[in-house]
Amino acid sequence: MVDALTQRPSTWAGILAVAMALGLCAYQVLNLLPLSGAQGFDLNRILLFNSVLPRAAVALLAGAALGLSGALLQQVLRNPIADPSTLGIASGAQLAMTTATLFAPALMDTSREVVALAGGLGVVALLLALAWKRGLEPVTVVLAGMVVSLIAMALSATLILANGEYMMSLLIWGSGSLTQQGWDHVQAIATTLALSLVAAFLLARPLAIVSLDDASAKSLGVNLLWLRLLALAIAVWLATTVTAEIGIIGFIGLAAPTFARLFGARGQKDTLIAAPLIGAVLLWLTDGLVQLAAGGSAEMVPTGAATALLGGPLLLYLLPRLRFLRRSPASLPPASERRITRPVLPLITLLLLALITIALALIIGRGPDGWSLAAGSLLDALLPFRAPRILTAAAAGAMLAAAGTILQRMTGNPIASPEVLGVSAGAGVGLAALLFALSAPGMGERLLGATAGVAVVLVALLAIAQRQEDNSERLLLGGLAAGAFCNALVNAAMITGDARAFQLLAWISGSTSQVGWTEAWIVLAVAMVLLGLLPLLTRWLAVLPLGSGQARALGLPLRASQTILILFAAGLTAAASLVVGPLSLVGLVAPHMARLLGFGQVRQHLLASILIGAGLMTGADWLSRIVTFPYQLPLGLFASLIGGPYLVWLLHRNR
Amino acid sequence: MTRRSLLGAGLSLTFIGKAQADRYDRVAVVDWAMFETLLALNVVPVAATELVQFRKISIEPSVPPQVADLGLRGSPNFEMLQLANPDLIVSSPWFAWARGNLERIASVASYTIYEPGRPPYAAAEEVTKALGERLGRAEPASAYVDASLTEIETARRTLSERNARPVYLINLGDARHFRAFGADSMFGDVLTRLGFTNAWSKPTSYAAAAPVPLEALAEVPEASIAIVSPIPSDAQSTLAQSPLWRALPSVREGRVSVIAPVNPFGALPAARRFARLLTEAFSGNGKPIHG
Repeated sequence: MVDALTQRPSTWAGILAVAMALGLCAYQVLNLLPLSGAQGFDLNRILLFNSVLPRAAVALLAGAALGLSGALLQQVLRNPIADPSTLGIASGAQLAMTTATLFAPALMDTSREVVALAGGLGVVALLLALAWKRGLEPVTVVLAGMVVSLIAMALSATLILANGEYMMSLLIWGSGSLTQQGWDHVQAIATTLALSLVAAFLLARPLAIVSLDDASAKSLGVNLLWLRLLALAIAVWLATTVTAEIGIIGFIGLAAPTFARLFGARGQKDTLIAAPLIGAVLLWLTDGLVQLAAGGSAEMVPTGAATALLGGPLLLYLLPRLRFLRRSPASLPPASERRITRPVLPLITLLLLALITIALALIIGRGPDGWSLAAGSLLDALLPFRAPRILTAAAAGAMLAAAGTILQRMTGNPIASPEVLGVSAGAGVGLAALLFALSAPGMGERLLGATAGVAVVLVALLAIAQRQEDNSERLLLGGLAAGAFCNALVNAAMITGDARAFQLLAWISGSTSQVGWTEAWIVLAVAMVLLGLLPLLTRWLAVLPLGSGQARALGLPLRASQTILILFAAGLTAAASLVVGPLSLVGLVAPHMARLLGFGQVRQHLLASILIGAGLMTGADWLSRIVTFPYQLPLGLFASLIGGPYLVWLLHRNR
Repeated sequence: MTRRSLLGAGLSLTFIGKAQADRYDRVAVVDWAMFETLLALNVVPVAATELVQFRKISIEPSVPPQVADLGLRGSPNFEMLQLANPDLIVSSPWFAWARGNLERIASVASYTIYEPGRPPYAAAEEVTKALGERLGRAEPASAYVDASLTEIETARRTLSERNARPVYLINLGDARHFRAFGADSMFGDVLTRLGFTNAWSKPTSYAAAAPVPLEALAEVPEASIAIVSPIPSDAQSTLAQSPLWRALPSVREGRVSVIAPVNPFGALPAARRFARLLTEAFSGNGKPIHG
């Protein structure tokens, strides 16, 4: 390995990074000299030994732990973009810790690591269940991770919102701070890392066999399943220990093994040695830069956000260099069992059902005296508040369902759903920027800010689309990278913990309660225009999944049609997420339900999904209004309650 | 409905500074600072936001049971507000985004206490008087303003021998970070009015600085520390064992006190409660925290 390293110019990059990190750390230490102050107490000594040095140690150890975790995850899942943040392990740990903070604070005091580990393992178990059927195929695993982590994020946001300002610790923790005031965290991470390193090297040889292929590994008598599960568990333990101790530090687990490969690490063992080393230096350097940038200002600068700034571009760089496994073609849930030949009547039934849901949502509500059926003057009084939000919810549901249908048909991936395009997260960044720039922005300004954020992400997506030929999956992953990047920025913005953070949280968790007529009309108008244009795209949607050869033979401008379809889905998602937030599970579920009902042909599939989406979202909105009246729950909560279990059932059923 | 919303829109165009003493029977309120001001003026609102948290964090003035709960401040329940049938809604710029919906229900009076960089106490006095005038309670309002001044003056005299050291006013985020209340916070303003120097001299935005690592507390070694509750449960035990925390001069020398929860974005009632709690803490009756 040493030879391999010295022959490459990238070695110099590594040496430079180490030198810089050392220099920055030395600078921190020199700042504290002389150690004995004039006032008769040696504060500088205490700062050096209890703050500066443990911080450097934690950066190194946490970086190494994340690097090892990423390397293990990538090897076991044979997935070059797996890491604790793309798989949602960190979000799962966050949800578990938020829940514990609220309902069992004593648990957080005594055993935060166990809580975090439980959350992380839960997410991984869910991912395995979701993607097992497809042989843990990389794109599906990461898409499922994205969906799971979004659900976890929305649930955490709901819990924090419902409990007011005193959840500041969770906001701090969500943006990853390396601040230290003793050696506790260092010890905890060091113990985990040491045990995991030993285990990883014991597993290295059998793991190398696993990477041959399943058949030959089995013939060698290696118990594949348990081996992989064990390695996975170690990776999760490493990641959740870091998250429990210092918070969410994204993308180091992704970057370290990648750099290791770029530096020339070839075999399993090389990577297992190089990744922790590189991760350590990377986090140490990032943290040094963060502290330098913070300079005189005392405010805490979240290191987790800085690593995300590194990770977004890295993912984008990686995408064109990935080689994807060929997947088995049968992927969408089969519609053939019960194909509808005469679709008019079923479609009208769906339309009626959606309309009835909307009507019931308008009429049924709760008041100070319990349930009430609004009619006459009461309905008149309540309509200005109910009607806009219900119409907006229905329109948003319809748009998300359409976007989901387009994406699922185009990519042939059943887990593709609108949020993977990253545009909704872009809306969050726009919103955050606006909240921090203006002192009291109105609803119109907020819409403008969010739209600007969406536009930036769209341009980025378009730039990827220009460079890629015939690989819609890479586009999806590009969107995913943009989304993860934007989410990290939003997380960092929330660290202020003031009213602005709470407005951001409200958006993340999804809320239609703030919608008035103006916003409702805007969303409705956009929905009408975009959905009205859909019939023009159905031919492309019918032909593209057949494969590029087929498409070309039929005279389809391949790249142009893919780009336009993606843009279309992005536009639909953006308009919807401006009002209902980034959680768009309806866009995942509705197309499936339509297919299961037997709507196989593109046009019918689209129409049925749209109607189902509108109905589902209206129902979710109604629940969010009713369940804890007068306190309103976030829409995202119910969207995930509908979507989450469905997702699990869907993938289980296929087995 | 349409007639009223039209009327409401017309009224709200001319809300502040108009010294007509309308009689409002049914006042609703969405902002907490305005809520406690109303209660202080003996105006019982028909509805207010997030009463569950208000009772936990603001504690006083106590909320009469007939006040209807409007749900979270982040998403006030407009339907509930409509059903409460108010004739005036008292609001603040935090609710600028909801203005359209609020005006649909009744006329809206919006007042500003908190602005970045401006000590809020004087603004709270102004708002109290303005609200009093608007609700036909000008006299109780100016009496309350005077009483508050007197209470703070009394507290200042009580503390006159104990205010030599600067004070850090903080709120613990977790075991590693705190939020500092600066000059543009109500706590910071009252602290100065009590004759203390605020040890946090750096700029803050919206009253408190974003989370700051604990070691920043070492910058003014001679300062005392006042922690405003609540303290996160895991921070409490972690802090007690933290070498850095225990090494801080103020902790080592026992100059840390914890005071009960006060609404950090309150008006005069919160200012008075804070002044009283701080006086108790600094005159030796407060609960000491040991490092």
